Amino acid sequence: MTSIRIVGLQKKFGDLAALSDVNLDIREGEFFTLLGPSGCGKTTLLRTIAGFYRQDHGDIYLGNELVNNVPAYKRNTGMVFQNYAVFPHMTVYENVAYGLKVRKFSKKEIDDKVKAALKNVHLTGYEDRTPDKLSGGQQQRVGLARAMAIEPRVLLFDEPLSNLDAKLRVEMREEIRDVQKKLGITAIYVTHDQEEALVISDRIAVVNLGRIQQVGAPWEIYKNPVNLFVATLVGKINTMEIELKENLGKGLRRAVAGQLSFTVPSHGTEGKSEAILAFRPEDIQEVSQRKAGQEKGENENQLSGLVDSVSFLGSTASITARIQGTSIILDRHCPKEDEIPLTGSSIHIFVPNDACLLFDKQTGVRLGYGGKQ
Amino acid sequence: MSLGRKKLDIWTLVTILGFAIVIIFLIYPLFDVFKFSFMDKETGQFSFSNWKEFFSRPYYLRAFSHSMFVAVLTTVFSMLLGIPLAFFTSRYKIHGTTLLTTLSVMALLSPTFIGAYSWITMLGKQGFLRLFFASIGIKLPEIYGPFGIILSDSLQYYPFISLMLAGALNTIDRSLEEASENLGSRSFGTFFKVTLPLVMPSLAGGALIVFMMSLSNFGTPMVIGGNYLVLSTLAYNLYTSEIAESPGMASTVSIVMILCASVIVILQNWVSSRRKYASMLVNRPIQKKLTKGKSFLAHFLCYFIVGLSTLPLIVIVIYSFRNTNGPVFTKGFGLDSYKQIFFDVPKTVINSFIYSLIAVILIAVIGTLLGFVIARKRNFAVKALDQLLMIPYIVPGTVLGIGFIVAFNRKPIYLAGTATIIIMAYFIRRLPYSVRSAASILKQIDPALEEAGINLGSPPGRTFRTVTLPLMKSGIVSGAIMSWVTSMNELSASILLYVGKTMTMPIKIYLSVVDGYFGTASAMSTILLVVTGVSMFIVNKYFNRGSETFVSS
Repeated sequence: MTSIRIVGLQKKFGDLAALSDVNLDIREGEFFTLLGPSGCGKTTLLRTIAGFYRQDHGDIYLGNELVNNVPAYKRNTGMVFQNYAVFPHMTVYENVAYGLKVRKFSKKEIDDKVKAALKNVHLTGYEDRTPDKLSGGQQQRVGLARAMAIEPRVLLFDEPLSNLDAKLRVEMREEIRDVQKKLGITAIYVTHDQEEALVISDRIAVVNLGRIQQVGAPWEIYKNPVNLFVATLVGKINTMEIELKENLGKGLRRAVAGQLSFTVPSHGTEGKSEAILAFRPEDIQEVSQRKAGQEKGENENQLSGLVDSVSFLGSTASITARIQGTSIILDRHCPKEDEIPLTGSSIHIFVPNDACLLFDKQTGVRLGYGGKQ
Repeated sequence: MSLGRKKLDIWTLVTILGFAIVIIFLIYPLFDVFKFSFMDKETGQFSFSNWKEFFSRPYYLRAFSHSMFVAVLTTVFSMLLGIPLAFFTSRYKIHGTTLLTTLSVMALLSPTFIGAYSWITMLGKQGFLRLFFASIGIKLPEIYGPFGIILSDSLQYYPFISLMLAGALNTIDRSLEEASENLGSRSFGTFFKVTLPLVMPSLAGGALIVFMMSLSNFGTPMVIGGNYLVLSTLAYNLYTSEIAESPGMASTVSIVMILCASVIVILQNWVSSRRKYASMLVNRPIQKKLTKGKSFLAHFLCYFIVGLSTLPLIVIVIYSFRNTNGPVFTKGFGLDSYKQIFFDVPKTVINSFIYSLIAVILIAVIGTLLGFVIARKRNFAVKALDQLLMIPYIVPGTVLGIGFIVAFNRKPIYLAGTATIIIMAYFIRRLPYSVRSAASILKQIDPALEEAGINLGSPPGRTFRTVTLPLMKSGIVSGAIMSWVTSMNELSASILLYVGKTMTMPIKIYLSVVDGYFGTASAMSTILLVVTGVSMFIVNKYFNRGSETFVSS
């Protein structure tokens, strides 16, 4: 079990700053995900940890060892590649044994370790197959077994599931997570798939433009985003520009978006006349679905409009409502057939005050961050 | 890091080696050719006299128009042979497609002058087919001249068309043709509006290769052309008659050939860059079954085309086993001709094998190193080297031979009459193909594989040995075998460079044909055919490379 510490890391490619002042503390045995859009620097960071890139500034510690000057082949990291990188000229067995042979284990030890690794990824019996006889999912299992077999200090995953089909992706990510927890090896996982990141991670670092935007547990990233980028990257969210009006007291302030009027938390909005308002579809409540006893609050945001379109998603229906010229997306849970609204029917919704997140219009920084939760 | 610097040094050294090779064996001799074309024969001063002469005397201009005439008609006939063959074998169920492909590749790779010589034995003055037809009252024209060149060139080069076109036809997604029919187009319309435009780049590419090969071909017009001079034979004749004086006119003709070839290469690049239809190939095209009558016709046509191109080779092999008495064939079959080779000119056979072997080793090693640099390191010097390595594509063998003999017949590099000069000619003619194929193999190897090796704890050197090299190996070896075949069969440059003791088989065959020793020529040709066939078989069987290898390299 190894912790990983990254201090003040910088990396430039020509004039492009791929990594700027990256600081991370990854705990022993943690499943840590780097989440961000393509080109954000997450893969660069992973490859710098692996030793394929040399940082311009900053330090990388694996455990207590400073590895800045340790070449890639001596870092003892196990990488799982996006396009599998299974050696095509070797059998499954030889692939998994490759790193063990380099480490000069005895034949017996190699055999034991290969078999154990293949068992962990459910590939027992595939030892003599060549990679061209394997499906994409099986190839990636070989890649995983090969990386695990060397008992690395850290497992590095570079978008390992992005080439697999949707169903296999879901299966594999659970398998990866199970194996990682079973072996207790610290893992750094790069992905652009926010859903994958939420499901698989102990903690997530959201990366954009070479900078770490936010580090936190999945629910924290989702519920309490530090800026508009994080809020829109992870999950669906409604956003609109608003003008901030008078204070209403009790920590609330009136806001106007076109013809809509809202009451929003005032914390952090002092001295500002405009902002971005954001709220998640599942936080919106419908009048018709309100349970008894839930009365309309004095300053609650009640809105009425027409159903524009409906997408049935199985356990929920995603409804796009047109409310006085503004589109708002909301979820309706477990709809029975007669609960699925018809396009063009009228709809009445509430947006609770505490579901309203405000962001600075220019910088996207969350207003009043830390004031809630 | 010290590691990085050491690697840089090796790469820099390889780059410098590449430049040295290009400068010494390409630029230096070709510059001489260029220089002589602008040098007055009498005074040795700079002058346009050679060029004036070229453009004013019908003798020269005629050779130019002959070359064009032969190249154009060869291209047309190659298409007439290649297109139906490709279409039928890729779209309809034809039995023995592998056999057809193998035989046509065999025809393609066999030395050009063998086909020409074989047609002489069939349709020459005393050709058995001609005599046969004469005996039943049909008088065939003599084969010598443009008709013979076009006949044997077309039957040699049509596989460029059929193989490239079949490759394209086999990679068109079936859905595209289905989509066309679904949108209401008849199958006839679909062929002309969808299929043909999609394969057009390959067809055009193949046609340009045929044009280029025919234009620079030396062996065929030399053997069968008679008095009908084309540019390559003109340059050769001019050079051999200009010995002692400066090779001014030969140089001028050489530059004209280089210019023609450059135009073709530019056209080729334009064609291949303009339209490339990469498809995901979800649905492979299917081969339809034909009705009985149509199927018979299709089979007949395919086998007739391939059979016609194989005929010269078969005739040669049969002739090699006929008994001879000096230059005359006698009754019965035996090993006379082979015995004669091994008693009279064993050195020729040995020379061919040794020179080709040394050339191939050089080509494989240096080609792989340069390919490595070109694939993995893109700085200005490497890019320039990559471009310079294109030169041999546009330099016909005859021209290179003239350049070599002119440049290396004096200090500082005196190589005339040595084996080295022939080996270096083989080497430089094939090097670019080897560099390109090594570079393209490397580009196909996912860098992540090397990273995976390193990540698993294997140092870069060991990773190269255990991961990269095994993945490159089959490509390098099959490329080397192709180089071996072309070196064994090389005539156009070596015929200008050989002396008695450095004679090779293709040269001996050519001289035997000229002297009328057809038995010796047949037996040696058969040896070359066997070498070609065995090499092809090895590439196919052990390296799992399809017929496209033979077209692309």
